[in-house]
Amino acid sequence: MRLRNLLARHWFAYAMVAPVVAVLALLVVFPLLQGLFFTFTDINDTTIANPVLDREASYEFVGLDNYLNVLSGDPAHGSFWATLLRTVIWTGACVVCHYVIGLALAVLLNRQLRFRGLYRVLLILPWAVPVFISAFAWRYLFNSEYGLVNRVLEAVGLPAQVWLGQSDLALVSVVVVNVWLGVPFMMVALLGGLQSIPSDLYEAAEIDGASAWQRFVHVTLPGLRSVSSSVVLLGVIWTFNMFPVIYLITENNPHTRILVTYAFERFFSGATRDYALASTYGVLILSVLLVFAAVYRRAMRRQGEVL
Amino acid sequence: MMRRKATVGAALGLVGALAAGCGGSSGDPGEVVFWDTSGPAESGVFQEVATDCARTGGYRVRVETVSFDQALNNYKTAAQGGQGPDVLRADVGWVAQLAQAGLIQDLTGTPLAADTADFLPAPLASTQHEGKTYAVPQVTDALALFYNKAQLAQAGVEPPKTWEELKQIAPQLGGDRALFLNNDEYYALPFLYSQGGDLLDVDSRTITVNSPEAVRGVQVAKDLLDAGAARTALDQPNSYTTMKAAFTSGDVAMVVDGPWAVPEYTQSGQFADPANLGIAPLPGKGTSPVGGHDYVIRQGSDATEASIKFVQCMSSTENQAKIAARLALLPTRQSAYDDPAVAQHPVVSAFRPLVADTHDRPWIPENAELLEPLQTAYADILAGRKETGAALDELARTYQTSVVPDYAQR
Repeated sequence: MRLRNLLARHWFAYAMVAPVVAVLALLVVFPLLQGLFFTFTDINDTTIANPVLDREASYEFVGLDNYLNVLSGDPAHGSFWATLLRTVIWTGACVVCHYVIGLALAVLLNRQLRFRGLYRVLLILPWAVPVFISAFAWRYLFNSEYGLVNRVLEAVGLPAQVWLGQSDLALVSVVVVNVWLGVPFMMVALLGGLQSIPSDLYEAAEIDGASAWQRFVHVTLPGLRSVSSSVVLLGVIWTFNMFPVIYLITENNPHTRILVTYAFERFFSGATRDYALASTYGVLILSVLLVFAAVYRRAMRRQGEVL
Repeated sequence: MMRRKATVGAALGLVGALAAGCGGSSGDPGEVVFWDTSGPAESGVFQEVATDCARTGGYRVRVETVSFDQALNNYKTAAQGGQGPDVLRADVGWVAQLAQAGLIQDLTGTPLAADTADFLPAPLASTQHEGKTYAVPQVTDALALFYNKAQLAQAGVEPPKTWEELKQIAPQLGGDRALFLNNDEYYALPFLYSQGGDLLDVDSRTITVNSPEAVRGVQVAKDLLDAGAARTALDQPNSYTTMKAAFTSGDVAMVVDGPWAVPEYTQSGQFADPANLGIAPLPGKGTSPVGGHDYVIRQGSDATEASIKFVQCMSSTENQAKIAARLALLPTRQSAYDDPAVAQHPVVSAFRPLVADTHDRPWIPENAELLEPLQTAYADILAGRKETGAALDELARTYQTSVVPDYAQR
């Protein structure tokens, strides 16, 4: 009776929502469950079922083997812990630089200055260029023999470096590129946040004798908190899963391998197409990010933010 | 295998893999869809030959040009779903793998497997898997020593016959301006083979990549760098481009490359007169890996009959000769080399003896996977980050844990 009442009263809302639920179930929930299932099998491209070729599936249930292999940190399965550490370093370095540089530029552009519109357009440009074009351009810039970066270093008397070789400098290089790519988004988001801070707060602070730094710390930062917390969360998730920058610039260099690029290598780029292992990585990445998001949200809520 | 390094990257490949589901076969038995992985300078000629074949054969053909880097992936994705081309131009290293995955047709018993006596033995070997024929050789290739004739003449030296000789003549050529070593896996093979080493011993199912012969061979390359007789790019992803730039700008006198690179080199200033581009055998005997491409027919194709006719026509002596004369790609049929236009072609005739003197590769499904970890190891060795023996021991372990687990370590 109550159900019928509910349906009768809200039938329109349910009808509107139903297609979305159906599409989400088909496009998100089903593949997710299928991927989860694959992690408990030894599926790869020779054991997968193929109705077109009349081939039965011959993969078998292997229990937790995939997880045990990956979590053992064995190099044959991607040195999981070392790769996770590198992923965390990569994510941390990128997001910190994104935020700090983005905030600095936003504060700068929030002032009255000449050609402000022009600066804003120029600073948003990196974001508008397709990632693969930026990646290849940077690859040329970082070329150790003919690249502009080394030419400039030599011109000012510094030693040239092998940027994209098999050393940790390669990770520094991709961080630089990703920061260049990601700052515009942070800048725009924070600029929006800055403009929503009422100017009378600054006036009041100024009358109270607050210095510029005190105004920044006690007015600007708290005023930006809600914007910051969302863009940082988004930034962490994006960067953690940022595949194209790393893969296009350094290809399969073990010194820049992060969790997603390794999953890709096993799924597509290696000749075996180990679907089971790649899915296992997918599930682990999802778990890490879910844990992070949960902890982060709790921390934010404690500060009175609703995310 | 990945001789032409990714210039259009993997992200495009992802898009391609998704799009592959929509492209390809029409399901029409009268139309052959052909995936051509040749470069932009070459595909026009293949298109032309294919159209001719279709006209005389009484079927239709649709040539779709796909990037070599992404073709294997896209083909696998499409073929798993019963889509994709009817005929694929597959790298010689892919055939056994595709055969094992059941994605290409067993051609034993078809006219394609009947007349094989004319094919060169090395490319023909790549078409076999477990005693059956799965492919027809299209082109073959070998690595050679490309040199700048003017620079060598000016220094008063001949192209070296051994790597030792290169060390001796290097000072006349300006030390490390003598040779550019590409630190890519495929280009490591000649050195690895040079002292009698190999990646695997297929007969005894043993991993031999860290044998003393293999270690000595790879060390030859490192010694060239240490002796100041060669240079290399230490940034692996830029290596092939840097090598080409160094050679075409006259910064280095010699490089190791294959026939596919000739059109690009002759477009540059240094080699605007193609006569300045010298092609000599690699120093050492029989050290070039066998490369090239084969035609394969997709399992589940609706146009099998027309596809067989198409492959027969494309790989005929006449058409191989036509392709060789126009593109300098090396025919796989002995008879095609006798064609006057081919015999007179400077690049083809320079490569002819090299093709007869190549080093066999293991034609096993894991063939392509052997090269990827070699890339990392070779780059580390040339950069001096790892000692040769240690790097190859590590590589042997990688092979055993993740490429050929049923092989023994030596």
